[in-house]
Amino acid sequence: MAATRRLGKELSDIRTSGQKVFRDIIVDESNILQWNGLIVPENPPYNKGAFRIRIDFPAEYPFKPPKITFQTRIYHPNIDEKGQVCLPIISAENWKPATKTDQVIQSLVALVNDPEPEHPLRGELAEEYTKDRKKFMKNAEEFTKKYSEKRPSD
Amino acid sequence: MEQVEPSSVHVVAGRDPALVIILLLLFLLFLLLLTVLPILHQIAIKHASLVQSILLGVSAAKLNSHGGVFSSKADPYLELSVDGQPPRKTEIIKKTWTPTWNEHFTVLVTPHSTLDLRVFNHFQLKANALLGSCKLELYPLLCKNNGKCQAQKTGDLQVVLTGMDINMADYLPNGQANATDDAVNGVSSGPSPSAGSRQSAAASAARPRSTTNPPPNVNAGMARLSSADSGDGAANVSSSEPLPPGWEMRIDSHGRPYYVDHNTRTTTWEKPTPLPAGIMQEDPLPEGWEMRFTAEGVRYFVDHNSRQTTFQDPRGGPAKGPKGAYGVPIQYERSFRWKLGQFRYLCQSNALPGHVKLNVTRENLFEDSFQQVMRLQPFDLRRRLYIIFKGEEGLDYGGLAREWFFHLSHEVLNPMYCLFEYANNSNYSLQINPASSVNPDHLMYFRFIGRFIAMALYHGKFIDSGFTMPFYKKMLSKKLMLKDIESIDPEIFNSLKWTEDNDVEEMDLGIYFSTDFEILGKVEQHELKEGGKDIKVSNDNKTEYISLMTNWIFERGVVEQTKAFLDGFNEVVPLQWLQYFDERELELMLCGMQEIDVGDWETHTIYRHYVRTSKQIQWFWKFVRELDHEKRTRLLQFVTGTCRLPVGGFSELMGSNGPQRFCIEKVGKDSWLPRSHTCFNRLDLPPYKSYEQLVEKLTFAIEETEGFAQE
Repeated sequence: MAATRRLGKELSDIRTSGQKVFRDIIVDESNILQWNGLIVPENPPYNKGAFRIRIDFPAEYPFKPPKITFQTRIYHPNIDEKGQVCLPIISAENWKPATKTDQVIQSLVALVNDPEPEHPLRGELAEEYTKDRKKFMKNAEEFTKKYSEKRPSD
Repeated sequence: MEQVEPSSVHVVAGRDPALVIILLLLFLLFLLLLTVLPILHQIAIKHASLVQSILLGVSAAKLNSHGGVFSSKADPYLELSVDGQPPRKTEIIKKTWTPTWNEHFTVLVTPHSTLDLRVFNHFQLKANALLGSCKLELYPLLCKNNGKCQAQKTGDLQVVLTGMDINMADYLPNGQANATDDAVNGVSSGPSPSAGSRQSAAASAARPRSTTNPPPNVNAGMARLSSADSGDGAANVSSSEPLPPGWEMRIDSHGRPYYVDHNTRTTTWEKPTPLPAGIMQEDPLPEGWEMRFTAEGVRYFVDHNSRQTTFQDPRGGPAKGPKGAYGVPIQYERSFRWKLGQFRYLCQSNALPGHVKLNVTRENLFEDSFQQVMRLQPFDLRRRLYIIFKGEEGLDYGGLAREWFFHLSHEVLNPMYCLFEYANNSNYSLQINPASSVNPDHLMYFRFIGRFIAMALYHGKFIDSGFTMPFYKKMLSKKLMLKDIESIDPEIFNSLKWTEDNDVEEMDLGIYFSTDFEILGKVEQHELKEGGKDIKVSNDNKTEYISLMTNWIFERGVVEQTKAFLDGFNEVVPLQWLQYFDERELELMLCGMQEIDVGDWETHTIYRHYVRTSKQIQWFWKFVRELDHEKRTRLLQFVTGTCRLPVGGFSELMGSNGPQRFCIEKVGKDSWLPRSHTCFNRLDLPPYKSYEQLVEKLTFAIEETEGFAQE
């Protein structure tokens, strides 16, 4: 299938690249349009845990962008309580069929590591992040410890 | 005119019963004994290809269940299909094994037609179940036109159909068939108790239920024409192009061909093409004029008064010259207004006499309208509409029809029914929902909606919501381009445009001539061309790819529905009538103008018992100016029955009897509420004492009233 063929190649490219920030990718063989994987951020306060995400590709992929949802709760100005994330690279205006999933993931990891309080999904966290960084770091770290997944040992 | 004048000759052929047929058939699971007693009158067996209109009465059925199969009684209805045409249905009779329908269908048949009769059990939530069926071949029945059809299998199934009145062309092919007049002139009414008495009923020629039918009415002139029609003669003269259903070509005593429309029982000199099922029913020529045809078949007009000839039709309307569309000279300016005039002219000249009644309830508007519109013949829908909302008094002088179009369009296009969907989140235009097959009857509904939309255009009424531009282009059979995707799916458009503009090899898009399509949760693969899944898109073939993708995007999942819609449309208004419009004009014709120009409104308003300077009138316009768009629309809808405006704005507002400006009349006392007369675009505005009072009463009227206080 059109989307399947390209996604199969992208998936094997990501798996063989051996990257550490996005790993443990689980794809049901019957449905390559849905990926599950673990985001392992490097920057505090999120480096105390790992975050499971789901990537949903539309049947029209790559003519329509994938959607990303956090399965793990995260204290982040750009990711809301439902796990929705606003990532410019996969917005309708910016999406290009040449954009690869690996680029999308790198962009996502960069956003997790360095929040963008100028374009928040959660206004109160963005305000806390800009006005009281110390408090934000403390809250986010506690939240991460409480809800996030265990980081892979390697 | 010394010629034989064929018009008005071919009249109601008398519904005299002539042939009784008893049919008994064994069927499937249930005990149903079928007795079909059609009365055929003067069937022209020799004219095997001729289409005749017959009236088929479906009276009752006796359905016996093998106890235990159904725990409760059935809700049976009967489906009638002629030669595989879309079926027509009776009403559903609730909870009975002995339904009585007493419905009559006018169907077009040839002597070789097969009538397929099926009785179904209606279910609300699941597919309807077939209770029994029988096929009724006309030809063998006609051969045995003494009415004694052989009882093949007595026994298991019984349905009694009475009063199949044939409303035949009343010519007598070679003297045949008339004998049936004497042999049998009726049919027993109601269910016959036994096979024996059915046969005796047939033989003794009991009167049919519809005894009120007029006797045969063979016009003398007609008889003369008929005698000239020597059986096979018609076939020799006819040209290659087939006539629309229900039409027949005949030759008059001077050897000139003319055309009989059995649908409307009219005749014309003009061949009824290129308008399928079209009827050029024209106004009579002025005194002393005559229409003739050149050797090439182009018609011209002879004015015997001045002894001149002209191609110009003296009755006005478009010129009937030899060139261009509908015989209109090509050099005519094709402005929208002109095109609209052409279209209206086509509609008017193909209008049928009489009216067609639709009896609907507001609560069940969709289903009531569906049942009734689909049970009628398409050409009936070109008669003047007479809409009755059950339980409401009111005569339809046009206002109720307008309301019907407005509300029903709102219903049938509502995405809730999954027949149509919004183009996308920011475009509220409608398009066919590829998942519409969740409703197993969806194709019948699309055919219905096609008919309904054609009726709106035909009768010059507006609908509540609009379609997407690509959908209008499909109606006009215009080619869809990449650009057309933009309005319905900007994401796909951007990606395809990007593909068109960029180096796909360098960027390694990894796409092939194959694409996925998700419908009802299932992803299906579609090859854009043979072997497409192994053909990679390159810079060299991407143009082809984009064009194939564009076609696919507009086709995927909607081909059958689109066809059903267009078929339904074409039955009422031939699609070629639209061919000179573009998609925006089509939208304007169907949806009217969206924004309300208060200045235009005020300019084109007239007053009764008020004058422009009356203080209530000044308050009224102040009030209108202060309303927001939605309220203004509702006020307009309150008075005119629709929130759409004609394409030309308020100056072209139409009432039931033609142009009808918006009118405000002084009626009643200041304690009254305003009332509206939607057929006359009139607002009855009592002489309120203050601006505040006027605002209060008008607001109340438009907010609280839907179909109330209106007439």
